[in-house]
Amino acid sequence: MLNDSLKLIRNGRLEIDAWRLFDADSSALPPDENYWMVKLETWKSHREQLSLRKFPVAILVPSDADSTDIIFKHGSDANLEKIAFIAIDFPSYTDGRGFSLAQILRKQYGWKGELRAMGDVLIDIIHYLARCGFDSFLIKEGHDAELALEAFETFTVHYQRSYPQPTKVTT
Amino acid sequence: MYIYDEIDQKLVEQRVAQFKEQTHRFLNGKLSEDDFRVLRLQNGLYIQRHAPMLRVAIPYGMLVSKQLRMLAYVARRWDKGYGHFSTRQNIQFNWPRLEDVPEILAKLATVQMHAIQTSGNCIRNTTTDHFAGVAPDEIINPLVWCEIIRQWSMLHPEFAFLPRKFKIAVSGASTDRAAVGVHDIGLQAVEENGVLGFTVWVGGGLGRTPIVGKLIKPFVAWHDLLTYLQATLRVYNLYGRRDNKYKARIKILVKDLTPEVFAQQVNEQWQLIKDGPDKVTEEYVQYVSNRFEWPKYDLTLSEIESDVILKSAENPKFERWLRTNVHDHKVKGYASVTVSLKASGIPPGDITADQMDALADMSETYGFGELRVSHEQNLILADVRRKSLYSLWLELDMLNLATPNIGLITNIISCPGGDYCSLANAVSIPVAAAIQQRFDDLDFVYEIGELDLNLSGCVNACGHHHVGHIGILGVDKAGEEWYQITIGGRQNGANSQGVIPALIRGGGAAIGRVIGPSFAREQIPDVIYRLIQTYLRLRDSDAERFIDVVERLGIEPFKHDVYSDPLLAKSIINTAVLDA
Repeated sequence: MLNDSLKLIRNGRLEIDAWRLFDADSSALPPDENYWMVKLETWKSHREQLSLRKFPVAILVPSDADSTDIIFKHGSDANLEKIAFIAIDFPSYTDGRGFSLAQILRKQYGWKGELRAMGDVLIDIIHYLARCGFDSFLIKEGHDAELALEAFETFTVHYQRSYPQPTKVTT
Repeated sequence: MYIYDEIDQKLVEQRVAQFKEQTHRFLNGKLSEDDFRVLRLQNGLYIQRHAPMLRVAIPYGMLVSKQLRMLAYVARRWDKGYGHFSTRQNIQFNWPRLEDVPEILAKLATVQMHAIQTSGNCIRNTTTDHFAGVAPDEIINPLVWCEIIRQWSMLHPEFAFLPRKFKIAVSGASTDRAAVGVHDIGLQAVEENGVLGFTVWVGGGLGRTPIVGKLIKPFVAWHDLLTYLQATLRVYNLYGRRDNKYKARIKILVKDLTPEVFAQQVNEQWQLIKDGPDKVTEEYVQYVSNRFEWPKYDLTLSEIESDVILKSAENPKFERWLRTNVHDHKVKGYASVTVSLKASGIPPGDITADQMDALADMSETYGFGELRVSHEQNLILADVRRKSLYSLWLELDMLNLATPNIGLITNIISCPGGDYCSLANAVSIPVAAAIQQRFDDLDFVYEIGELDLNLSGCVNACGHHHVGHIGILGVDKAGEEWYQITIGGRQNGANSQGVIPALIRGGGAAIGRVIGPSFAREQIPDVIYRLIQTYLRLRDSDAERFIDVVERLGIEPFKHDVYSDPLLAKSIINTAVLDA
């Protein structure tokens, strides 16, 4: 079924996810073509080179990333302008580190670009993810992405002031 | 009681709707058992030995009559006509069906109750002093601050999936009755230069690795409380261990980093957010405080009621109850009354639906319809007019709720144990019953004086055995139930000499020490009896409590007497082998 491939929530719509993770060891780099995602380690060791690409890469941040790492530091020379988006991995939806990493990336580094949740992304965590600053969501296999779209409105009120009410469409 | 505003109400209703949908997906095979597990736990639902167990929050132990009636209704309609108060200001129902839980939660929402975050690796129900709001020794009213923490912690988007469960306790009074020293975060109200705030202890806890919390910050001003909590939780969320659930509590992180480094990391995070949108404003505190319906006390009452004195002279049972179950109140002419759920032969903390209904009525007749739940698994009628104490006592006594044993050896704190809980290694309730039976002579119980006896059926320590003056832990050895005894534990008041008082309060908890090899179940009452004999022999006066003697002389004399008692010798040989 065509709908089964629509697993990515982005800008309030379902999309097909075209991105691939470049999984070779960190000394090699993906060809300069669209839709390549590299691991944080790879990007860190080839920042200069990767920023010269015609087709920017996306960075996949592992859940155990060090929050004092360069990409989380405000005013660092991380040079994130040259990347497509940042994705944070959820090896299991109960691994909550990604929520804090997202907050640090948004609030401390000041990342304004796309921030994607990947991995064990259930319908049931979309609302929390969105409030922590994620704006794209690759829904886990076997979970109804249409239903996930509704999760933005699971709660229409909240207490914690510094975590805004999520909206499907981001600008 | 705090009265929900529209936002509060909407949130619990939306949470019910969310859980209903999740349950539906699970029952239709669209959510795996594994994926559903954590979601249901965060709504208080366990799968237990006999049936699911539903744990309902009683935020900071505050309960009003209509809520208690609803709990009675739930107990009758979906359970077997009773409920069990846990040691964390929650109530547990042991027999609901999974399919019914969304409806139970919907019913509870109509009286502003919920089961949100009563389990799972998230911020649990914040607990406090069971005399909160009515204690005469309060520095601040912890009810307001607990409600502020409740709101902050509820459905917190960043901290929904922590490495492990997380428990916060608040003490607003000069005597710590909230056991702040044995919580992940303990907050003790203090005043510094005319500003109210909290001393922050982090990394205390019981369970497998019992440890007293470390002083992380001597003073956090009230307006910084939430941002400081946020910073603490963020450091824990990022760096708490997730590879081993037995090393995942914040106490391990604090220990591994050292309290100094941990405090420094928290401080770094805190500096970045302390003046952000989550800073507590005066208007917000005022708003929350105004949402409480505070009792309208009669300020013309007199403290001493001659009628009560007369009755107590005539009736020794009533006199005893007055001494142990009636407590001072901040307003003259009123008292707080502990309703003992520790009658002999009843599982500690159990209460029937009929008793709940009757207590709801009594809370209205004798007070303002407010009750508290204590971590000692009793209920408190918060605002009883002293002149009505005798008629209240008559009513309570008829319902078997007036056992005069508060603070005494038979006021046993106990987890449900192996009869209900699938984690337990051993039963608890029958052991508690056997001890209560052994100490059924009230005169003797009085002679022993103040003594906390706490009992857990496994190392998870839900019965808080580590902080009992006498603690009993059920252990499994080669498939058999054995019980290990500790003495010298306490929830407050330790090391109080020669240290700045403000700083020792939270750190006044102490972990009990194991006296030696374990015992068989049937020996436990005799072992306890032996310990008591030793205490009575060694105390220098009636005023010296069991815990004081242990502090003065150590565990050696107790150990010696127990293990040289020929009556108890048989099992020692057996267990010595097993313990080796």
